[in-house]
Amino acid sequence: MINKNIKEFINPVGKSVPRIDGRGLVTGQTKYTYDLKFPNMLIGKMIRSPHAHARIVNIDASVAEKLPGVKAIITAKDTHNIKFGSNEFFFPHTVDQLALEADKVRYIGDELGAVAAIDEETAQKAIDLIKIDYEILPSVTEMMEAIKPGAPQIHNARNNFGVILPVNFGNADRALKESDYVREDTFYASAAAHCSMETHVCIGHWELYTDKITLWQSTQAPFKVRETLAKTLKKNLNDIRVIKLAVGGGFGAKLEMLPMDFAACLLSKKSGGQPVKICYNREEEFSFSRRKHAMLYSLKSGVKNDGTLMVLTGEVYADGGGYCSYGPTVMAAAIMRIFMVYKIENLRITGYRVYTNTPISGAMRGFGGVQSGFAIESHMDLLAKGIGMDPIEFRMKNITHPNMVTRNKLIISSNGLKECIENAAAASQWNKKRGNKGYYKGPILKRGIGIGIAADVMGSKMYKSHESAGSIVKVEEDGSVYLFTGAADTGQGSDTALSQIAAQALGVSFARVKCKAADTEITPFDTGSFASRVTFISGNATLNAGKDAKMQILNIVADKHKLEVVDLDIIAEEVINIKNNSKLLSFDKALELCYSFDYGQQIIGKGSYNPKTTPVDFRTGEGNISGSYGFEAQIAEVEVNTDTGEVRIIKMWDAHDIGKAINPQSVEGQIEGALAMGIGYTFYEDLQFKNGRVVNPNFANYRLPRALGTPKMETILIETNDPQGPFGAKGMGESALLPTSAAIANAIEDAVGIRIKELPITSAKMIKALKEQNQKGEG
Amino acid sequence: MDILNINNKDYEFSLTGYETLLEVLRDELGFTGTKTACSEAECGACSVIINGNSVLSCITLAKDCVGKKITTIEGLAKDDELHPIQQAFLDQGAVQCGFCIPGMIIATKTLLDKNPKPTEEEIQIGLDGNICRCAGYPQIMKAVKHASKIINKDND
Repeated sequence: MINKNIKEFINPVGKSVPRIDGRGLVTGQTKYTYDLKFPNMLIGKMIRSPHAHARIVNIDASVAEKLPGVKAIITAKDTHNIKFGSNEFFFPHTVDQLALEADKVRYIGDELGAVAAIDEETAQKAIDLIKIDYEILPSVTEMMEAIKPGAPQIHNARNNFGVILPVNFGNADRALKESDYVREDTFYASAAAHCSMETHVCIGHWELYTDKITLWQSTQAPFKVRETLAKTLKKNLNDIRVIKLAVGGGFGAKLEMLPMDFAACLLSKKSGGQPVKICYNREEEFSFSRRKHAMLYSLKSGVKNDGTLMVLTGEVYADGGGYCSYGPTVMAAAIMRIFMVYKIENLRITGYRVYTNTPISGAMRGFGGVQSGFAIESHMDLLAKGIGMDPIEFRMKNITHPNMVTRNKLIISSNGLKECIENAAAASQWNKKRGNKGYYKGPILKRGIGIGIAADVMGSKMYKSHESAGSIVKVEEDGSVYLFTGAADTGQGSDTALSQIAAQALGVSFARVKCKAADTEITPFDTGSFASRVTFISGNATLNAGKDAKMQILNIVADKHKLEVVDLDIIAEEVINIKNNSKLLSFDKALELCYSFDYGQQIIGKGSYNPKTTPVDFRTGEGNISGSYGFEAQIAEVEVNTDTGEVRIIKMWDAHDIGKAINPQSVEGQIEGALAMGIGYTFYEDLQFKNGRVVNPNFANYRLPRALGTPKMETILIETNDPQGPFGAKGMGESALLPTSAAIANAIEDAVGIRIKELPITSAKMIKALKEQNQKGEG
Repeated sequence: MDILNINNKDYEFSLTGYETLLEVLRDELGFTGTKTACSEAECGACSVIINGNSVLSCITLAKDCVGKKITTIEGLAKDDELHPIQQAFLDQGAVQCGFCIPGMIIATKTLLDKNPKPTEEEIQIGLDGNICRCAGYPQIMKAVKHASKIINKDND
């Protein structure tokens, strides 16, 4: 017996088993990259531009180099000047960033070098001693200014459009004419910061004589980072090893190589092979990592009087900052998500991702879906209102359904959106509360209820032609099971969920499993933790590996007992003869047999999975991007104080089609966490800039959700058992914050009849709108 | 020579007076369970218990802690047994990325030591200095309530 809990965790799929890494986390023993140090380790710091836009004329580090304690200084001249980007495969023209900029800097904080020294203080002193001559260029930090003719050119891109995505289906003009009701709305969704508790941190080590590079990194995508490092350092993939330890949150900011990762490796080489650690402080994290794209949606859409959604048209502008990062795919997702949610034949939306001289926008939990969720779901409520239809009735009429192919060729199999809406409506007593019925409407405090719906992919090809995951399930002679996966658990609990899948596939207790995750030299390839893909894609790879290991064991048992292998199975720790439903031998005994004198065979199961998708043309939006789709409906009940403009959430309901909950407790944690994040984004999270500089780069001035103020939440899990999912499961890490802002904004309109179209919804905006409403009423 | 009593054990140092308690814990002693996510007293990840109070070690000078009783996250579990609060956090799914959890558990211990049966609002206020970006607050709240139940049962 390897663990006293072995009985408790038999058939683990669908059970809330505790986190596989939980004991280490609650005792503080688990090591994050932030906790790591090595003998002779140096501290690295980036040399950054103080200017929003400037030409680099000369860098003189001669004085800094002589400062005692300084071990290495690097600039572009130490590099191969190879550009990198994050959507290279689909958008090669957006590969626009150098690890260390050579000619030009494009935002305050842009990296043009790095220093390694014996401590941080010395590194900072050295940076202060480096003399850099700039030719300051005119800068543009507002997106709508940047697209005007004559605005400063940040890259070689017309009107500073880094990405233009014109998506066009059907005949929008005709559909607008045929609509009974047409309306135009403009929405603005603000920039936000990821704020992982563990900031960006890495340790680079370049062994001089073997030329072997190791990077310990707090990352969501170690294999992606390896690829970019190899490209920019001009090394082979197998020269580089990226190791992920526990990660203190990512939320999209840790999906790519940053210049700091490149610099840590190169500084290590230049210092003679000493390991170099670079760790962002909170201000650097806010100012120089990644941020959520601020987006402006300008929409004009039409409906029939019977509620048929005819057409959506418009433009989307996204503030991209100095470089493209994941901007192209974020923009594609921000436009095309609607096809997963609504049956729509006519759509004409053009997306413009705009370069500005501000920090880089990239991927953030929701991937464009939070901004589009706010705009589209607010817009839908207004369309329904325009024809006098209940928002739920309107949505029910237009939503996608199971087993359909959408206008842009998404192949939707399981789809629980209808059930999600029905369940959320029933749980929240929608019919009783909607429509400002008098009994919950006081003189000052007024209540309202609103809905938002959403859908999400389970993976997306973003930087490679495939998006496969691999798993290895190794069973030792003592019956212990080791799962090797390249998937990166960044806190969502994927190590636990994948271990549950491995145990279930093998037919054994979860207590047997140990998970070794994400080391590019040891674990199989995996594209990373993004697009809610891990449970679905890495889960399927793990399922296949578990099944493979099981077959290896059963083959030996069948041989020994002269039985047909097809008649055998492992269920709940026992090898079963399914023909007569009799127990043949225990799992432990079976393993003894595998490793016996007669057989001596190691049990090493392998699994690979690449979802069944069709080629997607990101430019047109056509193609089946994901192997499965997840759905949800969210309802918010709010109370508005008409004196102070304060909005309090009474309760939120989230009904979620998750296929099958591998670990219900983990799923609820993801949903509740996403909801809380969505609430923060709705009311107060707002990364602010002045002349390109972040002006609130700390927790005192950038408010985050805390325990106090987190409202009551109810999660309803809808299990549609997706035919493609491992044990029917879908991914769900991101989707719960997609409709939150709109559900709240829609509830506010229900409460007091005002419509806020610009995030965040502050008390000041509420008071202003309430005043305008009063004036209109009096006038 | 300065002596710091950490988790019931004395450690000798010669402190310059400038070191924060956080630096001494993490860099000198390897008690890396205590984290920081801001270094400016906003996030609560660096919380430790000093003489029964939850204190932010990132803004506390180590020298000021001489002669006081310091408890870190490493000092809660006894032998192989998790502290009931740690067990409750594990059982209730209150742990996501885990980076804030040592601070959350320290804040919870301080709260429950002073107020073993806190109301919902008292828990929220007790944890208000601690940020969890995974925002697992509902499950953290459940864990605190559960821990309170267990601790009170043990004491009855």
